[in-house]
Amino acid sequence: MINSFLRFALIFILLILLQILLFNNIQFSGYVNPYVYIMFILLLPVEIPSWVLLLLSFATGLIMDFFTGSPGMHTSATVLAGFVRPYVLRLVSPRDGYESGSDPSMLIYGFRWFLSYTLLIVLIHHTTLFYFEVFRFADFFRTMLRVILSTLFSMTFILLIEFYRKGK
Amino acid sequence: MRNLLNFLARYNNLIIFLILEGIAFYLLATRNNYHNTRMVNGVRGMTRGIEKRINNTRSYLSLHEINEKLAAENVALRNNIVQMGRKQNSLFFSVDDSLYKQQYQHKSAEAIENSINRQKNFFTINKGEQQGIKVDMAVISANSVAGVIIGCSRNYSVAMSLLNLDFKLSARIRSNGYFGSLNWDGRDYRYATLSEIPQHVLVNVGDTIETTGYSAIFPEGAIVGTVSDYEKFGGDFYKITVLLMTDFKKLHFVDVIGNMKKKEQLELEKLFK
Repeated sequence: MINSFLRFALIFILLILLQILLFNNIQFSGYVNPYVYIMFILLLPVEIPSWVLLLLSFATGLIMDFFTGSPGMHTSATVLAGFVRPYVLRLVSPRDGYESGSDPSMLIYGFRWFLSYTLLIVLIHHTTLFYFEVFRFADFFRTMLRVILSTLFSMTFILLIEFYRKGK
Repeated sequence: MRNLLNFLARYNNLIIFLILEGIAFYLLATRNNYHNTRMVNGVRGMTRGIEKRINNTRSYLSLHEINEKLAAENVALRNNIVQMGRKQNSLFFSVDDSLYKQQYQHKSAEAIENSINRQKNFFTINKGEQQGIKVDMAVISANSVAGVIIGCSRNYSVAMSLLNLDFKLSARIRSNGYFGSLNWDGRDYRYATLSEIPQHVLVNVGDTIETTGYSAIFPEGAIVGTVSDYEKFGGDFYKITVLLMTDFKKLHFVDVIGNMKKKEQLELEKLFK
């Protein structure tokens, strides 16, 4: 119990640092902005109580907002992502269901499962985030383009990190 | 009572979700008041140490380019001195009290944190109240518009970048003096839009766009950029795309400009409004 708590604390700190020090500095043509920190919410155990998940999502978003100086933006997106995660897990559940006490990792459930699970949540998170950032529907399609491009980039990095974890 | 408890137990996730999302929305809604400087300072204060370190590395890597820019600025300033000296040598010249005439005060600073990829971009500079920076001062980078100070702490200030949907600037075409309103449309960090220029005005690609000085924030004649494209928009006005002079991706050394007569101007204007 303590062990897994420490492990997730470490993952949390690592992902936040990666996001702030590296990914926030990727400013590619003003359209692409990968948000990889959302991976923390993806990696939490399958059977985590929903209220813990929601509180952790809230904390993650709040910390990101501190570092980007945009109160509420990341928080609203991560809380929504945390809220839909159980439903997404149910939606993409493998044929034999989830093993009890397992993490949603590529190692256990395979590449295709991980891809669809991640893609759905990242897409929901990015859509909320970018539309709240603009806060108007005037440039609807341009914002959609930003969402799609950034999702592609975030997914690439998340999959790379996941492959690295699998390899270890 | 039991029904209520059952209800809460059944929908506790939804309730927690709604409460947390409510808090997030509250933050999102109240932050629109950008002059709420306490918020800006409190939030940025916590992360400043890290940002400073990132900036140190970045500034070391771009030293060569910065040197070149400073050298060019030195040359321009030296040329000015030569011209001034020539004026003094002429037979007749009027003596102006320099203290009385000085309207704008410059202070140099470094941008230690900056972004271009959001819709509402800000940057942080390494000078604050103790160095005489105040809210609503103008920030320029090598004589071209960069932003406006919106919050100061003791040693740091946060500025709203020109690349911010809330940034509005009164700007004019240098060659004929017609002025309009300039703002960023959130697309490309190199371009902004100048609107409200009537269609009978002659506009050419390459025309210089400069500030008007009407707002009492920016001094008159600070360069914004050049016209890169224009089209007729609506019935009466042009929509002019302006190629910005400031390269926000490289923003580093900036000047903060305070208008010493701003209070006087605003008080006078208030009388007639």
